[in-house]
Amino acid sequence: MNNEERVVRFSGSARFAHWGHTVTFLVLLFTGLTLFTPALGRVLTPLFGGHVTASLIHKIMAVGFTIIPLIALAINFKGFIAWWKDVFSFGANDIKFLLKFPLEFFGFKVEIPPQSKFNGGEKMNSVVTTTSCVLLALSGYVMWFKAAFPVVLVQWCYPIHGICMILATCMVCMHGYLGSLHPGSGESFWGMWKGTVRSDWAAHHHAKWYDEVTKS
Amino acid sequence: MTTKKMVFVDTSLCTGCKACSVACKAWNDLPAEKNQLITSYQAQASTTHNTWTYISMHEKYENGKMEWLMFKHQCYHCEDPSCLKACPNEAIYKTESGYTLIDQEKCIGCGYCVANCPWGVPKTNPELKKTYKCTGCIDRVENGLQPACVATCQPGALHFGDRAEMEALAKTRLAEVKKDHPKAQLYGDKAMGGTTYLYLLLEDPAFYGLPENPTTSSSLVVWKDWVQPYGIWLIPLALAASATSFVTTRIINNTNKSKGGN
Repeated sequence: MNNEERVVRFSGSARFAHWGHTVTFLVLLFTGLTLFTPALGRVLTPLFGGHVTASLIHKIMAVGFTIIPLIALAINFKGFIAWWKDVFSFGANDIKFLLKFPLEFFGFKVEIPPQSKFNGGEKMNSVVTTTSCVLLALSGYVMWFKAAFPVVLVQWCYPIHGICMILATCMVCMHGYLGSLHPGSGESFWGMWKGTVRSDWAAHHHAKWYDEVTKS
Repeated sequence: MTTKKMVFVDTSLCTGCKACSVACKAWNDLPAEKNQLITSYQAQASTTHNTWTYISMHEKYENGKMEWLMFKHQCYHCEDPSCLKACPNEAIYKTESGYTLIDQEKCIGCGYCVANCPWGVPKTNPELKKTYKCTGCIDRVENGLQPACVATCQPGALHFGDRAEMEALAKTRLAEVKKDHPKAQLYGDKAMGGTTYLYLLLEDPAFYGLPENPTTSSSLVVWKDWVQPYGIWLIPLALAASATSFVTTRIINNTNKSKGGN
């Protein structure tokens, strides 16, 4: 197998959605944390020049955060469907992955069964982050336009926004690390940056997917 | 030590003249607002950032006769306020005299208190991005004067004094009023740790559109007592796990290399 041979892993629209959400999420996180606890507020608020600006930036980014996946969806709906088809084809190999991965995470060598385009962990990440993002956006708009909604709904949106923020941020921390500095991450960063990965890496890490791609 | 103050609102004596509302605006320098009739006599729907107290008028029909029941709305100055718990910027505080106040310097108008007050009292001025509500005329009461609404009340429906004195008066009045109004009851003494504004009602709270048992909403408990103090630690935990992995993966890799490299 030629080491220079590459296969397409992520389309332009998927990469646009991924990196667009990376930027908007991080800005939303830090502008939002100004209101999470008074202590965090004291540290973070001056960075944005006060609560009024932080709130304005948060709202502008929120609109971007909502529009970006919708644009990607409109450009490449088929790709979106393919992603979720793979995520929900959760089988024995994915469960084995999830059971063994904690060991690999800390550096122990384990035998992992062949994975599809997304491994068991990536499937979990897809579900948790997407659910959190949808709930963050919905609860955010309810709080933004609170006069239009029943008080009880508005009240519950505050803890929901907080819980989803925590879940999404945990996933982002782990995902960011696994996609870059973890020794096993290898080509995965380039898959999302350039769109292509080395064929031998694909064959090794996502054997099921590689077979499908090369056969067709 | 400052003694706890209290305002006793004896709704059985209120005539609905609204002088309290006007006196409040005069003392606190609040502009008049344009409004329109909602029901027969009612023009004010709720407190606003410029109207901190108002009277709601309720028609009670019994044996073919109609009676007006009045209710004075303003901040209740709870002992254990939800607004204070909800505020993300520590702008709301309690005074020793029992009042719940918004520090306008710290208020950022986020509206978290607006959404979490069980009576929906505080309101945000959208232009100034500051939230306002009744201050209990703290500047007056801490300088030996009565609150503006109490000082102006003609039928003697409003009383101001030390908490114990007001509670005793409320109980006496309740006993008197009960003869004609069997459903009469005190309102506020059991709510939110006890309120600084204590009411004598002639009917059930629901008749006035008031919550029967105002409490801190469970969403606020989840948010402030669970998610905020404990949930947030999941993030440093995720970062710590990544940092640990960064180190251990490299140690294990190096050990394997030195073992297999020979």
